[in-house]
Amino acid sequence: MKIVREALAGTLESSDLMVRIAPRDAGLEIVLQSEVIHQFGAQIEAVARETLEKLGIDAAQVIIEDKGALDCVIRARLQTVVRRAADEWTADWSVLA
Amino acid sequence: MTDEVQPYRVDPISEPEAATEIKALLAACDLSYEATVEVFVVLRRGRRTIACAGLDKNIVKCAAISPELQGESLSLLLMTEIAHLAHERGHTHLFLYTKPDNVDRFRACGFYKVVEVPGVVAFMENTPIGVRGYCASLKTLRQPGAVIGAIVMNANPFTYGHRHLVEYAVANCDHLHLFVVAEDTSFFSYRDRYAMVKAGISDLPRLTLHPGSEYMVSRATFSSYFFKEKNAAADSFTAIDLLVFRNFIAPALGITRRFVGTEPFCKTTNKYNRDMMHWLRRPDSPFPPIEVVEIPRIANGEVPISASEVRSLLAAERFAEIGRLVPPFTLAVLRDKHRPGRTASQIPDPPTWVENALSKKGQDSYEDS
Repeated sequence: MKIVREALAGTLESSDLMVRIAPRDAGLEIVLQSEVIHQFGAQIEAVARETLEKLGIDAAQVIIEDKGALDCVIRARLQTVVRRAADEWTADWSVLA
Repeated sequence: MTDEVQPYRVDPISEPEAATEIKALLAACDLSYEATVEVFVVLRRGRRTIACAGLDKNIVKCAAISPELQGESLSLLLMTEIAHLAHERGHTHLFLYTKPDNVDRFRACGFYKVVEVPGVVAFMENTPIGVRGYCASLKTLRQPGAVIGAIVMNANPFTYGHRHLVEYAVANCDHLHLFVVAEDTSFFSYRDRYAMVKAGISDLPRLTLHPGSEYMVSRATFSSYFFKEKNAAADSFTAIDLLVFRNFIAPALGITRRFVGTEPFCKTTNKYNRDMMHWLRRPDSPFPPIEVVEIPRIANGEVPISASEVRSLLAAERFAEIGRLVPPFTLAVLRDKHRPGRTASQIPDPPTWVENALSKKGQDSYEDS
């Protein structure tokens, strides 16, 4: 799957995150802002990278505005934003859980 | 009896009753209604409008929450709705102006401060890598030298006056960075203006021609809307644009000197030049001062050459007179675009290298030497 357009998913409300994605020539650029960045910044980024990897996304710019979301929420929002931004959805839902 | 808060979208033209409620809410918050807003998001509890925010293309305006409900985190819902609405309308990069006291509230909504006029206004964007990412790309185009010059021009259209300014600047610095205003609100399109500048300066050395950006004399940075509300602040409507230049663009490229032509005709530009002297040079800034060099316009006979004069001659189709004020390529563009009833054989084709340069995408700048 390839990111071919910009997309947006999620909200700014507590326990959620807003995530933007945009096409990029090569590599993943993840820009993370979080209210809990000192405690969980590394964990949030790891979840984001793992989710993108499972989706087969290796080139994108991702901006995350986190409001203390749980890992499952982070995965769900990333899957949604990729679905909105990708050329075609080729991922297998069963491997994403 | 807890009425849930629901977001709605309001077209102020087709829904005058909703617009009246928005006006009342804004008045209660000491803000004025902006007729340039194309669409609003409002939050209603029951039938009552308790919060609103509007979009003027990619600029968020008229954001307000009913005074007694501030602190209920309505702003998060409101700005979430605005972000999604803007995205649907094709605007991913958003800007807003607010009072410095509100910066923290908008920070929680995913906006980041770019610059601030202390006590007056803060300018924010909805990405942490906006102006900083732009400046990182500019940094790759730095040139060596003790005196690095810059010109920002609209070139609407490019005249011998612009050419004179660029020649003077090149002769008075080690390298010149020339930016063409990207905003497409002028008589001539950005594409045409860029092509006219590119052709008009192609023989000059030690010069980098840059595409414009949203951080330079754009609707976003040069938005006078905020300031017309309050007379006390009317003096600083150019401040945001100039602070972005001084705090971000100049340090990225090492710019030490900015060149402008005197402006005898246009009040706004004249004020911009005056304010440049203030904001680019004032000593109470952590960023290095930038020397402002204002040079007199060259005249064609008695009258200084100006783009506005060219536009009025064009309206009268007085091409012979225009030909004395603009370079040949500009004249060709003017004939091509604006002369009715023309035939193809009368118009020279623009050089193909101009077309090729313009079809390149991205933040590249085009080195001319």
